[in-house]
Amino acid sequence: MGPHPRPTPKDALIHLREESAKRLSASERLVEQSFNQARLVTSLAVGLLLVGFLLVAQMRGQATFSGSLERQSDQNLAIIIQQLTAENNVLRTEVARLQMRLLEAGQATEDRTQLLSEAARELNSVSMMAGLEAAAGPGIVVTITDPERVLLPQDFVRVVHELRGGGAEAIAINAIRVTATSGFSGGGGRIELDGTTLARDYEVIALGNQNNLAQALELPGGLKTTLVTFPGVTVQVAAADELSVPAGSAVGYSFGSPVEDE
Amino acid sequence: MLALALALALGVTLGLLTNVTVPVAALTYLGVAVLAAIDACLGGVKASLEETFDDKIFISGFLTNTLMAAFIVFVGDRIGVRELYLAAVVAFGLRVFENLGTVRRLLFSRWGWE
Repeated sequence: MGPHPRPTPKDALIHLREESAKRLSASERLVEQSFNQARLVTSLAVGLLLVGFLLVAQMRGQATFSGSLERQSDQNLAIIIQQLTAENNVLRTEVARLQMRLLEAGQATEDRTQLLSEAARELNSVSMMAGLEAAAGPGIVVTITDPERVLLPQDFVRVVHELRGGGAEAIAINAIRVTATSGFSGGGGRIELDGTTLARDYEVIALGNQNNLAQALELPGGLKTTLVTFPGVTVQVAAADELSVPAGSAVGYSFGSPVEDE
Repeated sequence: MLALALALALGVTLGLLTNVTVPVAALTYLGVAVLAAIDACLGGVKASLEETFDDKIFISGFLTNTLMAAFIVFVGDRIGVRELYLAAVVAFGLRVFENLGTVRRLLFSRWGWE
């Protein structure tokens, strides 16, 4: 440009431009470098991540594989097969046995339910017979008056007997149930039923077929005829459709015990 | 380097956490593939130390090596040469050790231990 001792403004400008261009390219290179570095690290990191993951997966798989049958020798496999076959047989027998038992149990259950319902029915009739439950239904009312107090306990035994003979299903005297264990006692004009003194004008209620019951008492030469021959005694028999007798008390065994009959 | 170690640890942790199990049938394939992947990563480290690393080459190498390794085992299974997987194992095993040696040497020279 000539022998100018001082750079012209133009030179200075050119210098500045070159300088900045150099700086720019340097920084560009730096950016590029760090970008490349980032790419390097990222791709390698992803690769290593995959390697780690796959390694663990492979080790896991190998661990399960080692315990699996494929690793066993043929001889071991033969032994294992033998053992399994034997075990299988045992189990099969067991299954058959259990099925048999199941069938038997089913049968037994059926039998038992049948037995139970039968027992319930029986219990019902037995408890009715034993007078453990109050009963209601048609029957007859026998009113006996004895102002002279001439009747004896055995007369009432006969009354009850005759009524039973006539098919009475439940009997009560003065609202006291006559059960299988009931007994009459007393003396001197007093009549006791199961320890309770009966008030006079005895009212005997018997459930059952009205005709049969009435006939049992009123037969010619029967009980009624006999009783009315006593002085002052009257016997009235009346049929009624809606009668009820109370429940008797259950008697447990104190001395005896039931004997099972096989 | 630290980032790479972290990535490896993360991969292992991920594997442990996700509880993946490889089916027995795929065990051999994955085993050889893992070997190939290790080789590829070592190769990548080596290239980065030599400052010739190219991510395109790394990624493509990673993928083709692993897939080819598994494929070789598959082919061996199919054509009745089960031992073909040994070829892959030997090849990749050799390369792993080769790469390892190079990496070691490069690291030494970089750290000025030579």
